[in-house]
Order: sequence, then C-alpha cells, then structure tokens
Amino acid sequence: MVLFALISLSIQNLMGAAIVFGAYSFMMCLIWAGMGAVDVAFTEAAVGAGVSTVFIVSTIYNTSATMRSRPGGMAFKFFIGVVVTLAGAFLLSALTDFPDWGDPNSPVNATVVPYYIENSIDDTHVPNLVTSVLADYRGFDTLLETTVVFIACIAIYSILRIETAKSKTDETEEGITSPPSYDPSDSLIVRQASRFMIPFMQLFALYVIAHGHYSPGGGFQGGVILGASLILLAISFDLKFLLRHWREKSLMLLVASGVFLYAAVGLACVFMGGNYLEYGILDSILPGDQAMARSHGILLVEIGVGITVMFSMVAIHINLASNGRFDRGL
Amino acid sequence: MEILAYTLISTGLIFFLGTTIGLLRFPDFYSRMHAAGKGDTLSTVVILLGCICIVSTQGDMSWLLGLKILLIINFIFIGSPTATHAMMDAGNKAGAEPWRKDSK
Repeated sequence: MVLFALISLSIQNLMGAAIVFGAYSFMMCLIWAGMGAVDVAFTEAAVGAGVSTVFIVSTIYNTSATMRSRPGGMAFKFFIGVVVTLAGAFLLSALTDFPDWGDPNSPVNATVVPYYIENSIDDTHVPNLVTSVLADYRGFDTLLETTVVFIACIAIYSILRIETAKSKTDETEEGITSPPSYDPSDSLIVRQASRFMIPFMQLFALYVIAHGHYSPGGGFQGGVILGASLILLAISFDLKFLLRHWREKSLMLLVASGVFLYAAVGLACVFMGGNYLEYGILDSILPGDQAMARSHGILLVEIGVGITVMFSMVAIHINLASNGRFDRGL
Repeated sequence: MEILAYTLISTGLIFFLGTTIGLLRFPDFYSRMHAAGKGDTLSTVVILLGCICIVSTQGDMSWLLGLKILLIINFIFIGSPTATHAMMDAGNKAGAEPWRKDSK
C-alpha cells in the first residue's frame, strides 16, 4: 500500500496517477475490512475507489494531462522531503506510546467500549454499534461531517461556476418536448445497460441507508451510491440530460436540505425540552418508547446525511466535468 | 461441497493470472482491452460462485445469502462488459490503431 502511494506520487502521466490512486484507496479498504471495520471499508470503497477517481479524472480532463515540474529544482524538493520525513517520524514516534492493539486493559477498551457494547441496544434499539455511536452517542461529529461535505460542495460550486448569458437562453428554450441532445448513434449499449442498472443501484442504496441499523451501511454509504447512480446517468447519457431532469437550483437546494433536516431534528429535540440532538425526548411525537424514539431519530438523521451526500456528489461532478459552465460533460 | 468451492476459487485465480499476463504482453490497445474485459468478468464470476458454495455450507437461511451473491454476479455480468465496450469505443474515437502483423 505504501508502494501504491509512492507510485501514485511519482507518475508523470496524471491519468495513470489517478488510476493508481484508486488502487491505493482500494488497498486501504481491504486493510480496514481486514481489521474488522466493515462500515469504514464500505465507505472507503464507495467514495475512494469509486466516486473520487471519477472526480480526479474529470479534473484531469479539464486541465493538463501531465505534471509540470515546479520551479525551484532539486533543493526545494529535498527540503520538502526532509520536512515531511521529520513530521512523519514525529507522528510515528507517538505511536510507540499507544497500547497494544486489542489490549483489553487499555483505557478505551476497559471503560468506553464495554459501555457501548452493553448499553447500546437498551438505549437505542439499534443492533449496529457503529451506527448508534456515530449517529446518537457522537451525533455532533456526524452533523459537522455532513456540514463539511456541504461546504466542500459549495466551495467547488462557488469557485468553478460561471454564468454565461448563453446558458440562460439555453435553459429557457429547452422545454420537455425538445429532442434528446445526446448523439443517438453512438454508445447505445452503454446507455441501455446503464438504464437497466441505475434503478437497481438506487434501490440498493435506499436499502443501505434504511438498513444501517442492522448491517454495515448507513447514511454516508447509501448517499454515495445514490450519487454515483446519478453520476452514471450523467456520464452514459449527456450532462444536459441530467440537468434537464435535475435542475441546478433544485440540486443546490436539496444539498442544503439534508443538513437542514439533521439540524432540524436536533432543534426539535430542544423544542421538546431536552438537549440538542437528544432524540429520546422526541418519544411523545414519535411512536414507541424512549429507546425507539432514539432509533427513529437515528434513522431521520441518516436520511438527512444521505440526501446531502448524494446531491453533493452529483453537484461536484457536474461542476468538475463541465468546468463550471454546465454545458458539456465528460 | 467445500472442495468444489476451493476448486472454483483457484480456477478463478488462474483465469486472473492469465488476464494479467495478457494485459502485459499483448501488443495493442484493443487486444489488451479484450483480454482485460473477458478475463476480468469471468474470473470474478467464478470466484463469486466459489463464495456461494462456501456460504451455503454455513448457517441457516444461507440460501438467501447465496441469492444475494447471485444478484451481485448478475450485476457484474452486465456492468463489466459494458465498461469494456465503453473503453474500447473511447479508444476508437481517440484514434488508437489496431496492430497489424507487418508493422512491427
């Protein structure tokens, strides 16, 4: 895996570097699956080895395909190498103070983990410990992570988006009855195959979001798969095809609405008299007792996370692939 | 049943080895893509069939897990050759020329 990282840094042809970067992501996914962290491996496989490679390839498509050497020559590179090696050695030396992996007497394993293992089902009725820790016990972290995805989407949008007068007249001319703008004579196989695959991908992604309580999955993974299904629609058909069905304004509104849903659930808890994001207070308006209310609260915030991640992926892809102009695509 | 599973997985790995050797040794873009697409799909399908054999020997309701793996095989069977076709099409449009016997 270190080999992959080194190779991806040294390849001059950026397309090759993108592919090796995807392979490095896949190695990380396998390592995490080997360590038993299946949720993280799932997310890394979906995001790193899937969507992230598409983003990098889109960026390379719009910029140059080889790496230009920086001014400064060998001395500069040597200095940077020394700084990075020192920082890395510093971090690695802190590793020797860690307790052994899997040591039952370390502070994390002795006090924190048994609390979660014993009390998670009674408190939240959610068998998947990772989901209950992520979305309930440590719900603030997930809220801020979702906000970070949202901010990334907005940043790419605000840097790249160019409004030209031509695009405005294009949008008003094309109604629902305009002919398809993709060339009908090429890539029929790709279009038909993706037309077949996309509904199943979306169904599977909805299953992953909803089943995050019982199996590895949850909001992030399902959202990425949903976003990937729409990116597949944009790649196999034309970009304008996707834009005709999902308009730009509704895309950006939906990105915001996921974060809004998550924060609103927290606020609703405050209105009912509890702390922010304390889902147990919602048991008077949600069916079930306090533990079931926490389970429903977790489901609601996972849906919010899924919505934001899905439309963030689509918006980032559209921005990157068309260099902000929203007219042509990959 | 488990011997069948191990045989299937080893066969899949042998096919993968053949694919990789073909990927490195063929002289032309199109023949390389041909080797990669066919060998990739076939080896993945065979390895997943081996996984079905392993899964069906453990646990109850294991036919459901086997059915899910069968659905994954279906998805890969449709998606991977389409991706190979798309790559070959892109190579054709970008102007890659087929290898002729007299050119090298």
